[in-house]
Amino acid sequence: MPGIFDRLQKEIENKQGEGGITALDLADLPPTLRKIMRLMLRELQLGYPEMTDAIASLPDAERIPSKELDESLDVLTRQGWLIRIGEGLKAIYKVNLRRKSGSNLAGGIWGTLDEKLKK
Amino acid sequence: MSKGKIVSIHSFRGGTGKSNTTANLAAQVALAGKRVGVVDTDIQSPGIHVLFGLDENKMGKTLNDFLHGKCTIGEVAFNIGEKAADADGRAKLSGMNLWLFPSSIRGREISQILREGYDVNLLNQGFQGMLKELDLDYLFIDTHPGLNEETLLSIAISDILVIILRPDDQDFQGTAVTVDIARSLDVPNLLLMVNKALPKYNAADIKQTVEENFKASVAGVLPLSFDMAENASQDIFSLRFPDHEWSKALRGVSQSILEIK
Repeated sequence: MPGIFDRLQKEIENKQGEGGITALDLADLPPTLRKIMRLMLRELQLGYPEMTDAIASLPDAERIPSKELDESLDVLTRQGWLIRIGEGLKAIYKVNLRRKSGSNLAGGIWGTLDEKLKK
Repeated sequence: MSKGKIVSIHSFRGGTGKSNTTANLAAQVALAGKRVGVVDTDIQSPGIHVLFGLDENKMGKTLNDFLHGKCTIGEVAFNIGEKAADADGRAKLSGMNLWLFPSSIRGREISQILREGYDVNLLNQGFQGMLKELDLDYLFIDTHPGLNEETLLSIAISDILVIILRPDDQDFQGTAVTVDIARSLDVPNLLLMVNKALPKYNAADIKQTVEENFKASVAGVLPLSFDMAENASQDIFSLRFPDHEWSKALRGVSQSILEIK
């Protein structure tokens, strides 16, 4: 029987299948959103208290006020660029990068290549 | 967050000596006593494994296996200090803390990635896992030339980005694009490295011109070298020929990386 971790992991994986951000999108984000996304790219997953601790540990000029942080997390979550599991202080955030799509070449071309590579 | 630094090595165009430079920088930083990883994200045309003496027979699990969920990232790590110290230069790496995360050189596995794509979240988890599992001080990412998903991701997560260019107008224009993107992505430390500079030109003049053009620091100007070409990626050049001008200039770049806090 799957445990709570397995169920949460499944929920994250399902949500990660929906859209996600590309590295090029990051360059177009407003500075505050980009700062949060860069932090999340390195941390991969953070609970809300850990997130506020990480922001508080930044140099003075780079800190994000609490209200702005909450609003930014809402924006990033609505866009599907961060995945939020749970609410409030118990919320866990995870970064959601868009899958690299495969080639648009016709399947027959790949099939032929595979056959040749087998030999 | 891991204390380790991610160093991405990039060039807008091919043929700048990116993989050779990455291998040499990683080796010099490992020789300085640091724990170093090198990952080959040039999935479509991998090559850096050659400099570390790996071939298809020696290579175990690869980044491709990790991206297909066939192994953990720790299983991809190839310990250079233990296994590949087999050439004059590489012998100096014996006992050093240096690991390579190679990409597959099997045609079918390369074509599978190109055909099916992959989970970019997993690639990023792999990078962070490399830093954490091996307690790395530095993770060097060797990228495909130009801009694609792997390259942009590696730039976005970098603590240090080294852009390699030749003194050539095509390289200058392409480098301007990469510098713009790096600044848009808030990369904290940007270094430029000029490679294959004709010895008849003054290195200090080249450095000044490039720094004025890009408003970024040039960590080294490395000469075009027939000795380097003759090495033919068979060994780590700066270890084999430490007194060569190319090697001295390369060590200046590795020192710049080590000095970044």
